[in-house]
Order: sequence, then C-alpha cells, then structure tokens
Amino acid sequence: MTHLIDIITVLMMGTSLAVFGLRKYKLSIAAYALQTSLLVIVFLLLHVKYGAHELLIWAFTAFVMKVVFVPLFLLKLVNKLGVINEDEPVGGFFISPVVALSFSLAVSMMFYKVFIHFSIFKDALPLFAASFIFMIGIFGFILRNSFLKQILAYCLFENGIHLSLALMAYNSHELVEIGILTDAIFAVVIMGILAKRFYASYESLDTSKAINLRG
Amino acid sequence: MNILFLILILPFVCGAIMFVMPLKFKLLQNLHIFLSIIVSALLLCAVREVIQGVELSAFHHFIFLDSLGAIFLSLIAITGLLVNIYATTYMKWELEDGHITLSEVKNYFALSFIFTWTMSLSVVCNNIAFMWAAIEATTLASVFLVSVKKDKNSTESGYKYIVLCSIGLAFALYATILLYSAANGKIEGEAMLYTNLLANATSLDPMALKLVFIFALIGFGTKAGLAPTHTWLPDVHAEGPAPTSALLSGVLLKCAMLGLIRYYAIVANGAGFDFVQNVMIISGTLTLFISSFFLIRQHNVKRMFAYHSIAHMGVIAFGLGVGGAIGLFAALFHCAAHSFTKALAFCSTGNIAKIYGTKDMTKMGGMIHIAPLTAVLFGIAICSLVGVPGFAIFVSEFLIFKAAAIDGSYLLMGIFALALAIIFIADFSHFFLATFGKVEGKVVHNDEMKFSENIPLIALAILIVAFGVWQFDSFTLLLNESVKSIMKQ
Repeated sequence: MTHLIDIITVLMMGTSLAVFGLRKYKLSIAAYALQTSLLVIVFLLLHVKYGAHELLIWAFTAFVMKVVFVPLFLLKLVNKLGVINEDEPVGGFFISPVVALSFSLAVSMMFYKVFIHFSIFKDALPLFAASFIFMIGIFGFILRNSFLKQILAYCLFENGIHLSLALMAYNSHELVEIGILTDAIFAVVIMGILAKRFYASYESLDTSKAINLRG
Repeated sequence: MNILFLILILPFVCGAIMFVMPLKFKLLQNLHIFLSIIVSALLLCAVREVIQGVELSAFHHFIFLDSLGAIFLSLIAITGLLVNIYATTYMKWELEDGHITLSEVKNYFALSFIFTWTMSLSVVCNNIAFMWAAIEATTLASVFLVSVKKDKNSTESGYKYIVLCSIGLAFALYATILLYSAANGKIEGEAMLYTNLLANATSLDPMALKLVFIFALIGFGTKAGLAPTHTWLPDVHAEGPAPTSALLSGVLLKCAMLGLIRYYAIVANGAGFDFVQNVMIISGTLTLFISSFFLIRQHNVKRMFAYHSIAHMGVIAFGLGVGGAIGLFAALFHCAAHSFTKALAFCSTGNIAKIYGTKDMTKMGGMIHIAPLTAVLFGIAICSLVGVPGFAIFVSEFLIFKAAAIDGSYLLMGIFALALAIIFIADFSHFFLATFGKVEGKVVHNDEMKFSENIPLIALAILIVAFGVWQFDSFTLLLNESVKSIMKQ
C-alpha cells in the first residue's frame, strides 16, 4: 500500500511539471485533471490504510469539484477566449521549467524533513511530493506570465496543500476540507472572471502588461 | 437561538436580499442602510454579552467569541456600519457622474454584506483551519468590491489582490496543517481548536511552533500588509472605491492581524515570548521604514493613505514585538484607533475626489475655502495618523513608547521615534499641499458636501477624538481580558 502511494505521488510530481511546462492550455488543463485524479486515488488509498471516513468524503468532493468542475470551467474559458498557447514566460519556455524544477526540489528537500517529524504519515516520498507540488505552484505564479497559467498554478499549489492535509492531518474535521475546497473553487471562478476582463482590456492574457499601478 | 448562529446567517441573508432587489436606487440605498444597522446591532449585541462575561460558543466549540474576537467584531460593527452608510452617498455620486451602473451599485451593496459575513466568520472561528478558510473568503468576497469597474486599472488591481493574497495565505494554511500535526495526539481534545491549542501550548514542540509562526507570519502578514509582502496593498487601496478602501484598511487588515495574534498567543506560550517578540520587532521595523520611505514620495492621496495602512500595521507589529502587558494592550488598542482613523481618512478622500475630480494632491489646494468641513475631517484623520495628542492613535503609540521604556529597550524607542518622525513630516507636507494655498488644478465641485452626507465622517471623527481623550470602561475591559488571555495570566 505504501509503495503504491509512493508511486502515485511521484506521478503527481510529474503531472505538476506538465501543468507548469506545457505550452498548450488544453494539454495543461488535461494534465491538471490527471493530477487531481491521482490525488483522489491517494485519498482513497489512505482511507483504506487508516480507515478514516473523512478521507472518503474528501475523495468524493475532490472528484466532483476538482476532477470534473475546475477542468471543465477552465476549458470553457479557453474556448471562450479562443486562446491556444500561453504567452512567453519569465526567462523563456526552456529556462522557466528548469528554474522552477531546481528550486522546488531544493526547497522540498528542506521542507519534507521538517514535515516528517510531525506527520501522522511517516513515509518520506509523499511528503516530499506534497511540498514539491506546492512549490511548483508558487513558481508558476512567479515565472509564468499567462493569467490562465497562473490560475493553474493556484490549482497546483492547492493540490499540494490538499496532499499535505491528507498526509499530515487526515483525521481533522470534514468541514475543514469542505471549507478549504469551497474557497479554492470560488477562487478559481473569480480568477476566471478576472481573466476574461483582463483579456478584454489588454487583448492578451500576459500579466506582465499590467503595469499601470506601479509606484 | 444562539447569537453566534445568527451572526453566521444574518449578514449572508442580507446580501442575498440585496442581490434580488429591483434596480431602484432609492430603495437600494435605504435598504442598505437599514440592513447595515440590523447587522451591526446584532454584532454589538454579541460583543455586549462578552463584556457581561457570557461565554459564547456553538457547534461543539467550532465557533466562539472571546474578548479578543469581541474587539474585532466591534470594529466590524461600528466602522463597517459608518462606512456602509457613507457608501450609499459615494455610490450616488458615482451613479450621477456615470462612472458606474445601477446594477453594479446593487452588486456592490450585496457584496458588502457577504464581505461583512466573511469577516465576522473569521473573527468567531475557534477552529484554526476554518478561520483560515474565512480569511481567504474575505479576499474572495472583496475582489469585486475593489474591481467594481471593468477598466484596465480596476482589473489590474483585482488581479493583484486575489493572486498575491492567495499565494500569501497558502503559507498560513501550511502553518495551520503543521500546527495541527504537531498538536494531534499530544494535547487533550480537538487539536484544531484555538482554545485547546492555547490551553495546552506548553505540551507542544517549541521548534515546531517556531516554524509554524514563521509560516503564519508570511501568510497572515501578507494579508495584513506587513512588509515585504505588502506590495498588493497600495494598488488595491488606491484603485478601489473610497468606501471599499475604508473597509479594507479599517477592518479587513485587522481581521488578518487577529489571525496572526492568535498564532502569536499559541506560539508565545509554547515556545516563549522572546521568540515571537523578536520576530515581530523585525517585521514591524521593516514595515515601518519601507512604508515611510514610500510615503514621502506619494502624491496620490489614496496611495498615501494606503502606505499609511502598511505603516500602521507595522506599528501594531511593533507593539506586539515590544510585548508585555502594556505593549499588547497598545497593539490591540491601535487596531481600533487605526480602524476609525483610516475609515475617516479614506471616506474623506471620496469627498476630495468629488471636489477636485482627481486624487493627485499636487493639483489640489485651497480645500479649507472650498469645503471647510471636509478639510477639517481630513485634518482630523491626518492628525490622528501622525499621532497628535488628543487623537486615538496617540494613545497606542504613547503606550508602545511606555512599554519599551519600562523594558529598558531604548534602542527600540529610538527606532520607533525615527519612523514616526518620517511619517509626521511626510504627512503634514501633503496635508498642507491639499488643504491650504492656491488651487493648483481645476475644481469640479466647488462646494461642501451636504451635512447629511458627512454624518458618517463626523461620527468617525468624534470616535477618534473620544478614544483619544476618554477611557471607555467596557472597551478597556475587553482589552485587558484579551491581554490576559494572550499572556495566560
């Protein structure tokens, strides 16, 4: 069981790089849907392993909201805006993933050793993966200029947090998970509306053009 | 029915009612004022019960109201009400000038109740993860209060607001998860309840708590506007409508600060007060000097007040850093003093923008002749912000000096005095530029606002002076009880 969780979380790390690095929006969204499906499987495996019924509820809500709703919402947004490829990120398409990968690995190496000290789940690899996905999400915000890619980056670090929550605090009240998930869904929807407005104002999703308010 | 249960539903219901109302401005205006009064009265009833010593909790202690929460709930009630009343006047002007549509006004009024609901929720949550969710929800509820229009600047401010605050708050969620993991199985009862964590803080691993506090500081500090993660705040406060800026600065920043104070209490009692105080001193000093540096360069009146908000969050952090009973008392008092002052300051910018049609202070001048009451109200806000004796902020800043002097921290006194001196010089030079001398630009509205339109501002000015010269026993009781609960005396 533990090995299976290890393998799935490593796959999640791979998908987070795909979400970050793929230029085509639709492929990037598909990679996110795949990653969230893997997250749901981790919830189910942890439910079987620990018998925590909260994780079953988490798996169900995460499936409905994150595997189905969020990707569909983002696909609809992409179709509506008629965008295909993302705008040039900071440092270019090659440098940007290299920087994100190396820094995320370095930070995760530091974090997971701390997390394992407190975590209920004592396996190192999933904890490492959780911090890695979170950091890739953070670097997505810093390095990718596209508004849509930044929404996906938000979704990524939110997946990282959910994985951490499942590994480190799976027996917390189910309302906690629902509260956090509800926030995440609303955040994605609101960012989506703002992305539409942004596109209407700037005729692009390139956030580096938003420099009117500096000083 | 438990009053906390009502707090959880009434503001939300009010928001829903506003959403379904017909598009008639007079109706929307009157209903907004009426419902705001009802909501504020409810919040103040809950605060009164806490003052009377009633222990309020519901849903198996999932939500509660302690003296600390009661201070912030009273700010939501009082500042929120006065700003909401002013918002009806401000929106009328915006509507008359064609800057906004009636449908957008309705949405604005409705969202302001949803915003009040999320802020109240963040204050009454005993479950720390739910508190985080409520604070994140305050961002989501207020995005379209900031980004009311659909132009470039408004969209940019909304984008920066949601993105930067969401990133910052993600760290606070990590702090929550870490704290729960560190406490789970080591303390009696539910490890996600603030009251349990505080009561059993000494059983927790000090190293874990220190890491938790750093994460919490990054997370809640971002939302509260502490440097160096304050960069969203000037853009958002400067671009949003005046009542939104007043609510964000006067109330929302304080709700985020309350989240940080709750972590401060747990970590201080588990890992020692020295650690949290040192961290807060560094954070406070950094915030004070960065904001005062930018403050000098500002000519946009709203941007200037936005940097002021950052500076005063720095003052609160500094007060928490100086610590001790007096330092904590001062920090909490400053939350209230700054709330009233900044609400007045931002609301007066609404009047000023109406008069000059610009926010650029170099194009103003002669306000004392054009709109003497607005000039006086603006002056009261400035005097309080720079800590002139007789105004509310002077009390807390003086108490921070006193706490540092009692502790023998003369270096801290010097640092604090230097930062305040820079702010003092910057502010008065800007104030004189706008208020006296000749008019440098054009005057769009060459008259004072109606007295009835200025009533909320006058009420805020009275509160600022009253808190500066008078000691309100019930409020002092809440402050003292809060200090005792943080220090576990």
